[in-house]
Amino acid sequence: MRTIEAPERVESTRARPPIRSARRYRARRIAYKVAMYAILIGLCSFIMMPVFWALTAALKPDLEPVFTPTPEWFPTKFFEWDNFRRVLVDTLPFLRYAINTMIIVIGNIIGVLISCSLVGFAFARLRFRGSKVLFYILIVTMLIPWQALMVPQFLFFVKVFHWYGSYLPLIVPSFTGVGFFIFLIRQYMRTIPRDLDDAARVDGLNTWQIFWRIILPLSTPVLTVCAVFTFLGSWNNLLGPLIYLDDDSKFTVAIGLANLVTRADTPWNLTMAANLITVLPTVIVYFFVQKKLIGGIASVGLKG
Amino acid sequence: MASLDTATDRAGLATPGRRRKPTKGLIARKEQRAAYLFLSPWLFGLAAFWLIPLVASTLLSFSEYQIIKSPHWIGLDNYREMLFDDRTFWVSIRVTLKYMFLSVPLYLVIGLLLSLLLNLKIRGINLFRTILFLPSVLSGVAVAVLWVALLNPDVGAVNELLRSLGMTDPPRWLDSPTWAVPSVVLVGLWGIGGGAIIYLAGLQNISAQLYEAALLDGAGPLQRFRYVTLPMITPTLLFVLLTGLIDAFQVFDIAYVLSRGGQGGLGDSLQFYLINLWNEAFVNGRYGYASALAWVLVIAATVVILAIFRTSGRWVYYEYDPERAR
Amino acid sequence: MAEIALEGVSKVFADGTEAVHTLDLDIPDGRLMVLVGPSGCGKTTVLRMVAGLEDLTGGRILIGGDEVNEVPPGDRDVAMVFQNYALYPHMTVYQNMALSLKIRKIKRAEMDRRVREAAEVLHLEDLLQKRPRELSGGQRQRVAMGRAIVREPQAFLMDEPLSNLDAKLRVQMRAEILRIQKDLRVTTIYVTHDQVEAMTLGDLVAVMKKGVLQQVAAPQELYANPANLFVGGFIGSPAMNLVEATVSTSDAGTFVEFAENRLRVPDEVVSARPALASFRGRTVILGIRPEGMEDAALVPSSSPDSRFPITVDLREGMGSDVYLHFTIAAPPVFTEDTRELAADVDEKALTDLKEQASERRSTFIARASPESAARVGERIEILVDTRKLYFFDPATGASIGGDRAAATVGVAGSSGV
Repeated sequence: MRTIEAPERVESTRARPPIRSARRYRARRIAYKVAMYAILIGLCSFIMMPVFWALTAALKPDLEPVFTPTPEWFPTKFFEWDNFRRVLVDTLPFLRYAINTMIIVIGNIIGVLISCSLVGFAFARLRFRGSKVLFYILIVTMLIPWQALMVPQFLFFVKVFHWYGSYLPLIVPSFTGVGFFIFLIRQYMRTIPRDLDDAARVDGLNTWQIFWRIILPLSTPVLTVCAVFTFLGSWNNLLGPLIYLDDDSKFTVAIGLANLVTRADTPWNLTMAANLITVLPTVIVYFFVQKKLIGGIASVGLKG
Repeated sequence: MASLDTATDRAGLATPGRRRKPTKGLIARKEQRAAYLFLSPWLFGLAAFWLIPLVASTLLSFSEYQIIKSPHWIGLDNYREMLFDDRTFWVSIRVTLKYMFLSVPLYLVIGLLLSLLLNLKIRGINLFRTILFLPSVLSGVAVAVLWVALLNPDVGAVNELLRSLGMTDPPRWLDSPTWAVPSVVLVGLWGIGGGAIIYLAGLQNISAQLYEAALLDGAGPLQRFRYVTLPMITPTLLFVLLTGLIDAFQVFDIAYVLSRGGQGGLGDSLQFYLINLWNEAFVNGRYGYASALAWVLVIAATVVILAIFRTSGRWVYYEYDPERAR
Repeated sequence: MAEIALEGVSKVFADGTEAVHTLDLDIPDGRLMVLVGPSGCGKTTVLRMVAGLEDLTGGRILIGGDEVNEVPPGDRDVAMVFQNYALYPHMTVYQNMALSLKIRKIKRAEMDRRVREAAEVLHLEDLLQKRPRELSGGQRQRVAMGRAIVREPQAFLMDEPLSNLDAKLRVQMRAEILRIQKDLRVTTIYVTHDQVEAMTLGDLVAVMKKGVLQQVAAPQELYANPANLFVGGFIGSPAMNLVEATVSTSDAGTFVEFAENRLRVPDEVVSARPALASFRGRTVILGIRPEGMEDAALVPSSSPDSRFPITVDLREGMGSDVYLHFTIAAPPVFTEDTRELAADVDEKALTDLKEQASERRSTFIARASPESAARVGERIEILVDTRKLYFFDPATGASIGGDRAAATVGVAGSSGV
């Protein structure tokens, strides 16, 4: 066995850097922390200031200018809460828009949860011929922007089914699955130990029962994430409703809000009130599920 | 033992070997039938909403089809018009590329920096995360409406601030052909937290021991980033790059609101690809021509995706992980 | 190279758990100190504090005489081998080993020389251009060692470096680590939960339990003179047999009695343990190592005062020895220490212990010569080497001996290593 010659080592190890004083290290650590907090607080104000500005504007009475030479960031003088009522039911029909949007949202959530959990289960846990090819196709449908096919889809729904002006073209497709959610659910279901299936089969459960009684209840975290994403996606969707809806009584919040700006016939205080009402549901949902949402993205495991 | 093996084989109970292609056993056939039942909603959707439209779209792109007239075949005329006679098409390409080159690198870098900041283990970090991720759940329309007000060149809060800081002639933002696309990029920056979540997930998958090893190796913060974070985050970078590029083709909501209802903005400065497509299809009712535009979009997206995947082997690293070996 | 000293080091985590309780420990220059104990005893926390990966709640850590409490890990000039190796997956073996030198701006030629030298020592020459994922577990372990060696650091810190290897490879790498450490004479702290590893590797072994240091001594000293019940039960395999016994004295000498058995304690043992006298007529915990017993049939001339009758429950042939399991009709020692020891083995050992306690019987194992003809169910006599009996105070668990000071934090006892 070979040994490393001692004298050589002694030479090189003596080149040890002097250990610096403890105080310098501590000072550096504190300075670093202060800097990090300063940056974070700066960034958070960059996010929150526009929101507070919108609130300030939304609470102004009609005759008060929304735009002031020095921007008013916080509501201090005016608290015209009635503006929100006017936007919802009086001057503007945002309550109806919200109800319309909820119909689409709920339809989509039901559709996504049913179809994507079924398909995700098949991809995650069943063996079948063509599984690889079909999975590649799934990935391709995730990557190709759906807008590329919106023209023929539009013609299909409108000319073949005469669904123009109805919510059906906005709801029905979700019952056939959404690529990204299928992928998410498949990734999650793959992490459930396969022994569970085998044990269930030995206990006499069939494939449907394994899905319904074992895998599905264990997948609630990822299903929650899918439901939340679906909620956000269809609540915020503009292009779809814009293509298929033509009647003000059926409009969604996204179209209603966009129209306020594009038609430029609504005062800014009411526009901002409408804006806040539009985002409120998503913000509430966000606060309730933010932990799960972030964890859900982490669990996808981009390594897949 | 050998005879027992062949017996089970014949009964179709043994797992089929890799090389041989035996007739499927009863259990496997049952499983396959179940699988296709589970897949049926998606397979139906695949046919109805992808394959048929794909074929229809191809045919339409070679046809002239407007709302009142029935479609008729015109060969490559749509593509010829697009390439040689349609100024708006080229404007939309230019606007989209300008947005892509500005936004993709910026979001890539700033998203990563932000996620590094949010990955710090300091008190109150959850509050900071909550606030910074907030804009990413807001609707594009709502964000756009808010920023139309803030970016108003004459009375908007942004320019009032810039003027109070001594800038006499601040940019006219959406009313300026030069600044319109950068304005959209800036508004996107406000929602960068959404991109940071993806990075954050990637960062949290990096084993703490790698950082500890680097610490003991004497690596400072920058070296830890260079030797641990950056190589380990490359799969996420790939994902963000890919989605960023594809998203650039799909800008709609913000441009629609900022350009007062999809009119393309001042001097067509907000004439994004999808805005143009939407106008041709649903405002002008030229379904044939719009389908040709859509095909160009698909081809462009495919080229980008393939190009990225081709080169990714050279710069994307995956952590060794016994699970992956199987 | 340097001496490492821990002075009153303590660690309380944010959630209030005390991982390390005022620990004093000296690792002499060039020696290998093993920290051993059941999981959760704080040994890894100690190592991480020395590395600088964990803050101290109290006390001081000195490397080569300098306090390093606030010094970041990279400036402490210590190298660590991690349990999962923590190799950089995107770098080749060569780059993995060279990184720390590159960061320290060591000249290229010197860097190359050191990496190649380390590679030769570890037989990694042919793997230098491979990535970690192409290596076997054993090879990854070597690379992790190599990364530490090229640093030529003040100290090696090893956190259960062999626990991810299979048994055969573990024995081989154990020898390798020992050889390298002796060649390089680098001060080393080695953390393990495996007492066999501790005994074979350590110049000194520090046994810890729940954040408290139990004893520091050379391996043989630890085995022969455990400071307390915990150390006695932890060191040795199979573990020391423990039973409550009564000490009595008569004209014939000093005796210990348990479950109607009586063993005479030799006079030299009694005189070496003056404290034992104060336990006369009281209960002590008697410890008998499996290797301190033999099938009496093989030693016909032995004294009847050193034997007791048993019935063989189980006979395990090990080749070189035969393990005879038998039951003693006395409750097992059921203290916090023995519970901790049983829990360290596994869940079942703990429930077994509880069951035995409720049934007032305990299981003994004797390590007999393979020539023993004892069969299961057979009634035989067991001969005890009464010079190797261990006595512990049931109240404190401390060893009942003469010189208590030497037995506790007894670095003094190790000076002969």
